[in-house]
Amino acid sequence: MASDPLLSVDGLHVYYGSSHVLHGVTLETGTAPLSIVGRNGMGKTTLCQAIMGLVPSSGGEVRLGGERISGRRAFKVARAGIGYVPQGRRVFRSLSVDEHLRLVGKPDGEWTVERIYGTFPRLAERRRNGGAALSGGEQQMLAISRALLLNPRLLVMDEPTEGLAPVIVEHVVEVLREIGRSGVGLLLVEQNLTVATEVSDRIMVMMNGEIALETDAATLLNDRALRNRYLGVSAEA
Amino acid sequence: MEALLDINWRLFAIVTLNGLTLASLYFIVASGFSLIFGLMRVVNMAHGSLYLLGAYIGFEVSEATGSWLLGIAAAAVVVGAAGAALQVSILSWMQGQDLRQALATIGVSIVAADLMLAQWGGSAYQITLPGAVSSFVPVPVAGRYAMARLMLIGFALVIGIGLWLMLNRTRVGMLIRAGVDDRRMLEALGVNVPLVFVGVFAIGAGLAGVAGVIGGSVLSVSPGEDARYLLSSLIVVIVGGMGSIPGAAIGALLVAMAETYGLAYTPTYGIVYTFAIMVAVLAVRPQGLLGRAA
Repeated sequence: MASDPLLSVDGLHVYYGSSHVLHGVTLETGTAPLSIVGRNGMGKTTLCQAIMGLVPSSGGEVRLGGERISGRRAFKVARAGIGYVPQGRRVFRSLSVDEHLRLVGKPDGEWTVERIYGTFPRLAERRRNGGAALSGGEQQMLAISRALLLNPRLLVMDEPTEGLAPVIVEHVVEVLREIGRSGVGLLLVEQNLTVATEVSDRIMVMMNGEIALETDAATLLNDRALRNRYLGVSAEA
Repeated sequence: MEALLDINWRLFAIVTLNGLTLASLYFIVASGFSLIFGLMRVVNMAHGSLYLLGAYIGFEVSEATGSWLLGIAAAAVVVGAAGAALQVSILSWMQGQDLRQALATIGVSIVAADLMLAQWGGSAYQITLPGAVSSFVPVPVAGRYAMARLMLIGFALVIGIGLWLMLNRTRVGMLIRAGVDDRRMLEALGVNVPLVFVGVFAIGAGLAGVAGVIGGSVLSVSPGEDARYLLSSLIVVIVGGMGSIPGAAIGALLVAMAETYGLAYTPTYGIVYTFAIMVAVLAVRPQGLLGRAA
């Protein structure tokens, strides 16, 4: 029996009203990180939300470890083992850092609140601060931490480096690489090509609601014509 | 001259106490209304019906058992369950469609008003208070004042502090605050948000039921009270800020004081002040005094 891939998305269609946003997205990923890049408005965020069950899909299916999760409510998808780090981080402004972590954290499991504080000392320093009082980098650490506390099999991250200072971006990349090595699957959606290629070897390019190209980091970085064609940028860094 | 001044001060003190007790009642009703709106964005137009249902249940149970406290407990439980049923059976099917939910709750309130009229008729009831509090106590300046009305202020304080502790010191409160901030993100963290909704609806409705018993004991119970307390709740949360419990307290205080002083000193224009406050708040701070911009 062939082992099921960690995540498989098969022919996923999403409509917002009459606008057809995802045109049958198909992809598979295992425990090695996978990055999805693409220009704005190509459906990357919608793909993340559809996987999470935050927007309804009208065709196709999503499976996690062989188990069908499409059509389930978001909390069941999360409990099935997907941690979600959304675009814009979306930390709760009324909750302190400590409350964010205790909201999700369980005393057992691989990731505990104490381990998070050990991994991100900055969060431990700011544990009494409210979510709104944190810097962008701190908010991102918090958003990643609360997703890790679910002890997920797969992390879905939507533009985790958006709007962060370059030195913070480097730190986030380090964290992502570490997560990738720890055996947790990683689906990274990025506009920043440098970040995507540093985190994962395997890269997919999304265009007009479809996976237009699957390639590897080195090819994409070395082929200017390819980048121009699919991303319309000469290289972001 | 001196006698006149003395009489005026006494009147002023009594009117002030009346305002405070009315504010307390408004706060208890509006806090549940605001709690529900804050998390679910549902403007529950049946909140007044829940108040009235609580009052009638409190009346029946306290008459049958002779225990006022049992009446309060029964109203809290039954009306809380009615609120949960409203959320599960009707509102959860139109999640996120605010206008449709408001309309559906108006429908529920109309049906409920007629059902209650059929059951309890059109006459006014008064819920009998325990003997210990149905007395008058001496109060400085005001002279003597009804113990039951003073007790109402105590109830509002206990409920206000209780709600604050629940929201800021418990796990349920943490979930509610996170849900108010971003309920979809909360769900994506594995929290059964629909269940939290039902729980919060039960708490908010239960508060309306408790308010009904208290209001029906200190004032009276009759058809039409549902619309009155729905209107007061709406004004209180518009002034104080939708979804904010401290806002409900400040709004209740402002609205009840304006109403009471207005009726006592300028009876002709009594009702105008309440709306003047609402218009002023809406003009300067549309989200309410302690509300957040949407």
